[in-house]
Amino acid sequence: MDADTVASGMTYGSGGARVSVAIVDDHPVVLEGVRSWLAADPRLLVVATGDNVDAVLAAGPANVILLDLRLHGKMAIDKVSELSAAGQRVVVYSEHHEPATILAVLDAGAVAFLAKHEGRDHCVETVLAAAADRPYVTPALAGAMVGDRRSTRPSLSDKEREALLLWFQSMSKASVAKRMQISEHTVKQYVDRARIKYARAGRPAATKSALLARAIEDGLIRPEEIGTYRSYASTDRPLP
Amino acid sequence: MSAERLRLAGATVAVTADRGGRIAAVVIAFGWHFLVNVPGIASGWTEYRVPWASAAGWVLFVVVGVLATARLFYGFAVPVFPLLAVLLIVDALVIAVTTDAEFFSAANWAWGTIGWFALLLLYDRGIAALVAVLVANAMLGLVGVVAASPDGDGAVDLSRFVMYVYGTGVLPIALVAAMGVLRETALSTAASEAARAALESERLGAAHAQRERQDRLGIVSEAAGALLHDLATGRADPADLDVQRACALAAAQLRRLIAESDDVPDPLLHELRACVDVAERQGVPVDLIAVGELPELDVAIRRRLAEPLAATLATARDWARVTVVAQPDEVVVSLTTPATAGPAKESHSWPMDGVVDYWYERDEELVWTQTRWRAV
Repeated sequence: MDADTVASGMTYGSGGARVSVAIVDDHPVVLEGVRSWLAADPRLLVVATGDNVDAVLAAGPANVILLDLRLHGKMAIDKVSELSAAGQRVVVYSEHHEPATILAVLDAGAVAFLAKHEGRDHCVETVLAAAADRPYVTPALAGAMVGDRRSTRPSLSDKEREALLLWFQSMSKASVAKRMQISEHTVKQYVDRARIKYARAGRPAATKSALLARAIEDGLIRPEEIGTYRSYASTDRPLP
Repeated sequence: MSAERLRLAGATVAVTADRGGRIAAVVIAFGWHFLVNVPGIASGWTEYRVPWASAAGWVLFVVVGVLATARLFYGFAVPVFPLLAVLLIVDALVIAVTTDAEFFSAANWAWGTIGWFALLLLYDRGIAALVAVLVANAMLGLVGVVAASPDGDGAVDLSRFVMYVYGTGVLPIALVAAMGVLRETALSTAASEAARAALESERLGAAHAQRERQDRLGIVSEAAGALLHDLATGRADPADLDVQRACALAAAQLRRLIAESDDVPDPLLHELRACVDVAERQGVPVDLIAVGELPELDVAIRRRLAEPLAATLATARDWARVTVVAQPDEVVVSLTTPATAGPAKESHSWPMDGVVDYWYERDEELVWTQTRWRAV
């Protein structure tokens, strides 16, 4: 169950500026634990922690919010939508890893989903990728995407589905690559492309658009692959 | 089968058997009324004191008959006793308008036909009401006979009267009695037949369950019997790693077989959990994650999906991750565990005949096993 060793080689953020992170959780134990994980990494700076989103944000702007989905007994999915619509990058951190919850969170505009059992390496890499508007897929997220049967789901190619399935089964990226007989970089590409397709689907949000824009910039996905194709010959298209 | 259901079963059969009796009563009543009474009225038309009264009475009888038939066959609620009163009034009327000479001819039609029409109205009310109407009819007739022959001939007329009353009265009573007996017999026969069928199906069900239990016992003996025998006789050394692995595998199989007979909503997950439990008892932390809705799968297919994983799981060390990705037409079960686990040893090879596919891969770090079922 290794973290994304390929991605950690890339630089995030602008130049040497550290990524500012705010953590919101109603369990002090979790707050302290995650804070110590993130503080150990020189690329990250924890600017605020607390159990209330608005209070934490009032303490100062943060590139990424690490948000516990269940705060004081209530699910905070509408909070996720609110923050994402305003362009605030949210990484949802939850002990609930049922596929329906994960897909709802993605639909609301969260940049990434992290299950609480997924460990420090995944946590750090997720936050770093989120700050740069790049996708990061953990095995739990891959499982939710591969098991999605809703009629509104985006269409994934066979290779993307296979990569998601094997990653969900938690082979290392190296094993997935060997199994599919492609390079590890290509495996990451397939998985990330699936994630980007989910950013295209569902309700629009500022964070989703940021993910899409960055993905097109990086060459991960071509615009026509995610746009709806309309023929030049269609009758309601204005004539040149 | 409960007593209530047995009774209901008998009741439906009784109602069907009774239908014949109802049809017979209606046919006799209307048949007599049309085929005998009409010629009778026609032949005595000139003899009546008031002919139209007789005709009107005939029509009234038809009306009452139709209403009674509607009640018999379609269950319409009709006022029974008022209609009986109408019949008796018509009876008296026709006796009154018939001349004395015609008393015992077909022109005096009402007092012979009233029995059948009263039967139509009183079909399922028991014999007592019918007898009461017939007695009332006989009284009216007696009055008529006495009035019709004030002189000499009294004894002859009286004896004719008695014969007439007996002849027209006994047949409706006989029909009611016969139908009663038929209904009772039908009820009791149907009930005993239903009870017999229930017993038979219980017996078949028990035999089926017994056969399944014996099948499972056979598998279990194969799995664990030889191993236990070896352990008991000392031929297998418990300190040996291979023997330990074999024991873990047999334990997993037993747990899984026991889990198969449980009635749970997601049987595959239940059986996988049983295999996982064995590994966890050995101190291996196992993640079991299921995604999607499981379709209904046969026991044989579930075995083929879970068994190969159980073999590898029994030898897992450090950690293990079992995932299930379920779709209506495809179920994929996988196991990932560090390569310190023992070699793959399938002690039970189920024929993977294309319904369930099996993969096993191993490198320096990981062992990966996957089984997949696809709907044909």
